[in-house]
Amino acid sequence: MSDKVMLAIKNYSKSYSEGKKAADDVTLDVCSGDIYGFIGHNGAGKSTTIRAVVGVLDFTEGEIYIDGHSVKDEPLLCKQVTAYIPDNPDLYDNLTGIQYLNFIADVFEIGAAEREERIKKYADLFEITDSLGDLISSYSHGMKQKIAIISALIHKPKLLVLDEPFVGLDPKATFTLKEIMHEMCGEGTAIFFSTHVLDVAEKLCNKVAIIKKGRIIASGTMEELTEGHSLEEAFLETDNEK
Amino acid sequence: MKSKSSLLFKTLLLSTSTRNIFRYTGEIKKKKKIIFSWIGILALCAMLTGYSLAMCIGYGKSGMADSVPVLGALIICLLALVFTFFKTNGYLFNFKEYDMLMALPFEAKTVAACKFLYMYVKSLPWYLCISIATLIGYAIYSKPAIYIYPLWIILSLFVPMIPMLIATFLGFVIAKISSGFRKNNIVQTILSLAFVIFCFSLRYIIEAVAKKGDINDTLSNISDVTAKAGRIVFPAGWFSNAIVKTGISDMLLLIGTSLLVFALVFGIMGSSYRQINSALKSHAASKNYKMTAQKKRSVVKAVAFKEFKRMTGSTVYMTNIAIGEIMAVLLGIVTLIIGFDRIIAIVTQNAPFDYAIVQPAIPFITYFFIGMMATTVCSPSLEGRNYWILQSLPVSKKDIYNGKMLFNLYLTIPFMIVSTFCLCISAKVPIITTVLYLILGVVLCMFSTAWGCVVGIKYMRLDWENEVEVIKQGAAPVIYMFPNMIFVMILAGLSIFLGTFIDHNVLAAIFMILYLALAAASYFRVMSLVKKET
Repeated sequence: MSDKVMLAIKNYSKSYSEGKKAADDVTLDVCSGDIYGFIGHNGAGKSTTIRAVVGVLDFTEGEIYIDGHSVKDEPLLCKQVTAYIPDNPDLYDNLTGIQYLNFIADVFEIGAAEREERIKKYADLFEITDSLGDLISSYSHGMKQKIAIISALIHKPKLLVLDEPFVGLDPKATFTLKEIMHEMCGEGTAIFFSTHVLDVAEKLCNKVAIIKKGRIIASGTMEELTEGHSLEEAFLETDNEK
Repeated sequence: MKSKSSLLFKTLLLSTSTRNIFRYTGEIKKKKKIIFSWIGILALCAMLTGYSLAMCIGYGKSGMADSVPVLGALIICLLALVFTFFKTNGYLFNFKEYDMLMALPFEAKTVAACKFLYMYVKSLPWYLCISIATLIGYAIYSKPAIYIYPLWIILSLFVPMIPMLIATFLGFVIAKISSGFRKNNIVQTILSLAFVIFCFSLRYIIEAVAKKGDINDTLSNISDVTAKAGRIVFPAGWFSNAIVKTGISDMLLLIGTSLLVFALVFGIMGSSYRQINSALKSHAASKNYKMTAQKKRSVVKAVAFKEFKRMTGSTVYMTNIAIGEIMAVLLGIVTLIIGFDRIIAIVTQNAPFDYAIVQPAIPFITYFFIGMMATTVCSPSLEGRNYWILQSLPVSKKDIYNGKMLFNLYLTIPFMIVSTFCLCISAKVPIITTVLYLILGVVLCMFSTAWGCVVGIKYMRLDWENEVEVIKQGAAPVIYMFPNMIFVMILAGLSIFLGTFIDHNVLAAIFMILYLALAAASYFRVMSLVKKET
């Protein structure tokens, strides 16, 4: 695996107007080829951190760099190489699946042949090709999730950020997504994702960070963190200690 | 970047286009609804055009044809200012797909500008109806040169621009101020309501300013007032001068200033757009709840309470609903302070008649504000993605809609009573008649609630992208509001006319029975629609 840092979060903190800190001095690096799991309780600060990484949420303290560019100062350069899949994607319900995918492909200036090939590839893998001509409003939650995933893969991002990507996916789609993540990681894409499913994280990730009350309480390679135990045991132990 | 802006703009339009839904949906019911909404919108456009044309003909017949361009432009400017302000919060901030759009490589100012342009294009047909009607009126009486026609149409595209940009900028300022507060939603609602009330008083402010400039007969001369107002509302003045005097400089001023203000507003907005949205969309959980004794409510009251929380949780919903109630109470208080006769004198511009004859119209005057919008019109649609919650509950639909109606009654009746009572005291209405007017007011609220619910269920739309679509723009609010308001104006006029020879108490009783029957009919219709829905 390459050591090129694709995502560098340096002393990032996010405070609300109420004065409370949702993220406190978070620091971590995600390199090309990493599948980095971000785990923690509900409300621990995972989504807040992810939303700041993808440039959706403003933050005052610290810095976030994507491919060497500052999210604060050069947001467009960062977004150009990033794809984000939120936990509950809000897509345009009154567009058809294919209209939405074409919109995203247009935004990333993907050529016609290239987009056709990628849409076909991923739509077939997720078994959604037949439904691409239907309105997104008629899709189930899982189908919307699949469209969001395809839209994220369409421009071959260097950094893929996913917030609870397996929620709502059927077992086959979950397997497909994991395969795609492995494939992308092999091609040098950095993947940073949050999850509650520790089994998945354990099998999929080479690095993990545990966040609690906005602070990173443990991070490192899977081996460093688990020390021969399961991730679940390591998580519960770390969580109880801190 | 240019192409990305147009791509986003086109996608925003497509994402709410009923033509797109019509083309791709397989549901016949949905297609039928779309066709009916198109017919309804066309009918409303025809009504608006007809009304504007009739007004221009009135001006033309009074020999004031030259005031028609400024008058039309003034109406467009004021409507654009108020309606944009109502929509800004929902369109530019707090919108559903914010995360999706901001994670894409678009500049913040591009997203904000495209959202504005979307709002502009969506409201343009209404302004063009007014503009084309005034053009026809002007053409009939002034016989302008042939080049005036295309010039009129082109400039009409720019007339609403500056007021819309001003309203957007004010919405931005309010959002920015509110974003610094913990309870930013409440701050935003209060500031928004204050601004809307200011806008409604704008007409009198403009008149007051216009009056200062002339000593004698400004107010009595409508033409002069319109011209002076045109000088204050400068886009209207520039438009009028460009048309009437073929003023090239005015034409360039209108176009150039519109574009300049556009660039300025979105240049400024872009710098803190993400910061404002971040503050508005994320809140820290207080995590300090202590378990206390819980209250048990009936199903109907529980639904009513849920409706209350839904309304207070949304600035767009709150400002659109509460404005009528607040205006009604303000009118009542102002009337108490300055007197009923003075208010009538201001509204009728000192027309010479006995103001006591207006008394039978008091409940309708109050209802004009309070009945402007009912929560029952939008609340079925506002369920949106949460519709499953109600669907899956072990309660009857009847109880759910009774709860929704109960909330509207809780909301409207107190305001109705306070406002009507103030007006009655100020107008020195006898006690018995006052009581009858209060009862009539309550009956009007019952009608508004039930009629609103009929329209709300019949034109329910759950697949909205932005709540503004169902609060301000959907078929339901339009179909509820127009006939209701027109009917109430007719009845107000009729009550004044009949009041000159029928006892006021008898008249109030007649209207009470009429509206009670309409309210009952609407209620039964709600119940039959609810049965069908089940």
